[in-house]
Amino acid sequence: MTALSSDASAKLDPITLTVIWNTLLSIAEELGVTLRNTAFSEAVREGDDFATALFDKNAVMIAQGNYSPGHLGSMPFMAKQVLEYIPAETLKPGDSIMVNDSFIGAGHFPDVYQIMPVFVDSRLVGFVCCSAHQVDMGGAAPGSQKVHGVTEAFQEGLRILPIRFVREGRIDKDIMRIVLGNVRVPDKVRGDLLAQHTANLSAAARLQKMFSDYGVATVESAYATILDRSEATMRETLAKVPAGTYSFEDYMDDYGPNTDPIKMAVDITFDGKGSVEFDFSRSSDAVPAAINSYINYTRAYAVFATKTFCNALDPQTEGSMRPIKLTVREGCFFNPRFPAPSGGRPILQIRIFDTINGAMAKALPERAMGAFSHWSNPNIGGIDDRTGRPFVMYDVSLGGYGGQYGKDGVEGMTPVMNCSNIPVEVHETHNPVRIHRFGFIPDSGGAGQWRGGCGVQKDIELLNSTATLSHLGDRHVFAPYGIFGGKPGALAESILNPQGNGERLHSKETRAIKRGDILSFRLSGAGGYGPPEKRDPKAIAEDLADGFVTEEHAKREYGWIANAENGTGQS
Amino acid sequence: MIRVAFDIGGTFTDFVLHDSRSNRTLTGKVSTTPEDPSLAVEAGLKEMLATAAITGSDLGAVLHATTVATNAVLERKGAATGLITTEGFRDVLLIGRQKRYETYDLYIEKPAPLVRRRHIVEVRERIAADGSVVAPIDMASVDLAIDAMLAAGRESIAIALLHAYANPEHERRIAERIRQKAPGLAVTLSSEVSPKFREYERTSTAVTNAYVMPIIDRYLKRLEMTLAEIGCRERLLIMQSNGGLASPVMARDYPVRVIESGPAAGILMCADVARSIGRRDVVTFDMGGTTAKLGAIDNGTPAIMPTFEVDLVRSRRGSGLPLNLPAVEMQEIGAGGGSIARVEKGMIAVGPDSAGAVPGPICYGKGGTLPTITDANVVLGYISPDRFNAGTMTLDVAGATLGMEIHVARPLGISVAEAAWGVHMIATTNMENALRLVSVERGRDPRNYAMVAFGGAGPLHAARLARRAGVPQVVVPNGAGVGSAIGLLQAAPRIDVSTTRVLRLDGRDASSSIEELYRRLEAQARSEIARVGQSGEPQWSRYAQMRYVGQGFEIHVDLPGGPIDAGYPEKVAEAFRQAYLRKNKFVDEQGIVEGVDWTLVATHGRHGDVAIRMAEGGALGAQVLTRKAWFPEADGFTETRVLNRAALLGAATFAGPVIIDDPYCTIVVPPGDSVRMSDAGHIIIDIDPEGRS
Repeated sequence: MTALSSDASAKLDPITLTVIWNTLLSIAEELGVTLRNTAFSEAVREGDDFATALFDKNAVMIAQGNYSPGHLGSMPFMAKQVLEYIPAETLKPGDSIMVNDSFIGAGHFPDVYQIMPVFVDSRLVGFVCCSAHQVDMGGAAPGSQKVHGVTEAFQEGLRILPIRFVREGRIDKDIMRIVLGNVRVPDKVRGDLLAQHTANLSAAARLQKMFSDYGVATVESAYATILDRSEATMRETLAKVPAGTYSFEDYMDDYGPNTDPIKMAVDITFDGKGSVEFDFSRSSDAVPAAINSYINYTRAYAVFATKTFCNALDPQTEGSMRPIKLTVREGCFFNPRFPAPSGGRPILQIRIFDTINGAMAKALPERAMGAFSHWSNPNIGGIDDRTGRPFVMYDVSLGGYGGQYGKDGVEGMTPVMNCSNIPVEVHETHNPVRIHRFGFIPDSGGAGQWRGGCGVQKDIELLNSTATLSHLGDRHVFAPYGIFGGKPGALAESILNPQGNGERLHSKETRAIKRGDILSFRLSGAGGYGPPEKRDPKAIAEDLADGFVTEEHAKREYGWIANAENGTGQS
Repeated sequence: MIRVAFDIGGTFTDFVLHDSRSNRTLTGKVSTTPEDPSLAVEAGLKEMLATAAITGSDLGAVLHATTVATNAVLERKGAATGLITTEGFRDVLLIGRQKRYETYDLYIEKPAPLVRRRHIVEVRERIAADGSVVAPIDMASVDLAIDAMLAAGRESIAIALLHAYANPEHERRIAERIRQKAPGLAVTLSSEVSPKFREYERTSTAVTNAYVMPIIDRYLKRLEMTLAEIGCRERLLIMQSNGGLASPVMARDYPVRVIESGPAAGILMCADVARSIGRRDVVTFDMGGTTAKLGAIDNGTPAIMPTFEVDLVRSRRGSGLPLNLPAVEMQEIGAGGGSIARVEKGMIAVGPDSAGAVPGPICYGKGGTLPTITDANVVLGYISPDRFNAGTMTLDVAGATLGMEIHVARPLGISVAEAAWGVHMIATTNMENALRLVSVERGRDPRNYAMVAFGGAGPLHAARLARRAGVPQVVVPNGAGVGSAIGLLQAAPRIDVSTTRVLRLDGRDASSSIEELYRRLEAQARSEIARVGQSGEPQWSRYAQMRYVGQGFEIHVDLPGGPIDAGYPEKVAEAFRQAYLRKNKFVDEQGIVEGVDWTLVATHGRHGDVAIRMAEGGALGAQVLTRKAWFPEADGFTETRVLNRAALLGAATFAGPVIIDDPYCTIVVPPGDSVRMSDAGHIIIDIDPEGRS
């Protein structure tokens, strides 16, 4: 694919190469910092739901920042598709392109990409790019992630195929009007679109400086070397994985009330020579609900999992992605045809990883882990009584890690995706809600020699007269598995008004709620690693002291016998 | 007045004594005594007093920078601490913000919290975002919480309730009850130490304060006993992270404010040096044994950041414990003299692993076997092997050369000199990227800045770093080896008081609201000044953290002085737009501007413009030696002049390559650059305009 030859790299000295590579990483990282710091929505400015990338002039990806993997892994495919719509030779300095198509981008409309060509002396030298989760793109429900009842992409809001929305430095106000006329929270979307543009402008200026410092020929030669080196490093690490085909299956709960489970199956083949192939074809067919995983999204997490298991710290480039092949039959849940709906697909990301992890446990037992405690991504929206204007409360609840070889699952760190939670005080300042609880659920982590992390509970009260909840969760039916004898984590639950009649909510339900309603979102716990009977009694005592497990749980799962005299015990 | 300053570092405790009447300066260094730092202070102070032939009662001020608080956090050796929080939110501190500092590494650990879950207790109460009381505080639950803390042997308590920044009443009630029931407990209120929204960051700040409070208290007690014995106890002032001096009382109540005490002192020294050479804008570069720290001074004033993190992992942003406190702007990276070099993927990598003081670089001959930046500099001929650290150490050149050959040169198939040069340059590049974070990333054009370089290794790398970053001039201050202690002499008592109040500038009441909040801040500042023991009218300045309405992060904006009248909000908005454009290269003309955190700074006059200057001397005198040193401009090893600072007296200018031996550092001037001494005794390197990038 790349037009760059590896011959060019021979002359490049290691010092210049390192300087250029570090500078590229620093530009990609800072692009995200500017985006976060200038953004308007809680999703972007607090949740870090975005990604960044730098490309060469042929749209080959050279560097990325430390952001959300679903976006990161979609970048190379996205950039090449964009240039098929808008050929590079038609671009002018100061132009910028916007796209959110679910097939071209990260698999659902809220993820809007802006890609900006960079010129040095009127010569195209590359592109800077950022994607950001816009908190609303219109469609059937606030947040544009409604799953149940949405049967085609056209119900999901505004679809933008690649368009030049900035021409020679001028933002096209007509295009902006079309976009803002179709979304529920135009101020936030406008603010975030400008933040993306601002971040690209800052990064483009630095990239230009690097080209003028080192000369176009030297930088392009460095690009070729970076791609080749990162590919070689990835092949080297993949070659160390024992050759063979490793398979695993798990099930998504369903795709809405009264629907069937979705089979998630993967066959991973390592050839022992440095390549890996992921085949998801044995999985279910695409479903008539907004939760399908477009191929670009599936690929992003296959790439993410590969890096995680084999080569976590090497910077990701298009070169490092070359040895990773993806095969998915068309029409499958993991490779749907347009216009399959997909707004709620974020809920899949941990599940894709869990499925791959289950297979990898057979290849690399000491790298595998119990399944994650999963997460939830509810959107609550309506007309704010105080202002008369629409609001969308986008929330992320993130739980614990599965047990790992040698250590318990980490509590409260983002699994797979790499977002932050949104502070309680930020939510309560901007949205008509009160949060009553945000904390761990004791006993929810799967027992094991190294136990799974606890799930997290968040209880949200609506202070507005009415609103719509578009819930997005999973693991309410199929618990996060444990491995090598570790126990599964506790199931997730979503409960409306737990203090009253405590009605169970479906994990992908959309429903009207009213003032005083309390939504209690309780994540599942993560799976354990290794048999519980091998757990160090000291670790059980520590968990009891910290309240991560209760004595009853310790008795049941570990055969713990409390020793009343000195406050310790044994199992 | 005679003043003495001491800065306790990881290896050495540095002393500077200055007599403003005779304008005499003495310096000293003694080994730090980690188990009880006051021992080194006592030994060093007595030595200084003896040398100066004065007694403790002659001292007008005793100024101190300390890493005690930082080390307690880094080594998790703080007080037994408990946290009291709002019912339902026990786990805020443990959950944190959850983002991984490495996207693809699912095996990373979070830094251990300073309080375990078993020591976090909830009380029944609730305040809303607007400060209104949703549920009054249940004092029975408070009593239970206090009993639990006492039963668990806690000696310091942090109180962090939801929205306490908007209404501190409930936190105060709890503190009051603790003082009644258990007067021996140390107490920290989140609403006092960090009155800002985002509960995790505020709680983290409060807990860190509680964690170091008894440590600092005990430490200050010992120090004050030592000083009492010497006869100068009343004169002690302590450096805060924001570059201001505070009384021991203040440091005891808000010990978290002294976390970046040492670096802040270094920055102040740089500001003074900048002034003395007529520069308003400088970047600062402090490189020691394990890390390099880069900072900036704009318009003569050290840049202060609103927040920072301690205990970072791999220098990664977001990996540490966040502190909602102003601190001198500082980018710290794992590149110091002891940083280890290795080969990875056919390239040279340097740091962040450090050989530390033990075993140290190979050339120290203390058992180190892995090549470090210092070893590379020895191989390159930059460091005089027999005059290192004021001649107290002799370096093993052969060992350094062999280590470089085995670990870097052979794996890459290059010569030892090329390998050493590679290590030197990669380290310089890493520092360049850190320098970018504090310069171009924050809207500073390095071409308009000078660089002040200090610390044991800073002056050696400075000219090369400046050249790469496009900085035209380097200044190595007089006394660069004890730079932070000198900085203490240049600090002024300074109080920052802040309040969080989200205020739109287009609002009808904007000017009266701003006027009112600054009136309150001034009253608060005056009461704090009284505690520092200052009299006389301070100088006032204002700044704010501001944003467009709808954004979640603010930028620092220096606010105009003068009366706050009807026209003031528009002046503030314009100051914001200018700052925003500088930083982000874009301004939204339609955007509405709001202020979030408003700060008032009270500064008391410095002790005159003290010109601190060491005596020139050294074994070499004005004599000039030569040695072979490696410069790519000369295609390799070339005969290079080695001089003492004294050789530069009398307006002599030398063209590079030149190496200058300072007692505690080495200054390398590459070919093309030239070096001279300023009137104030600082060494100035003018960077070759052709060589700059």
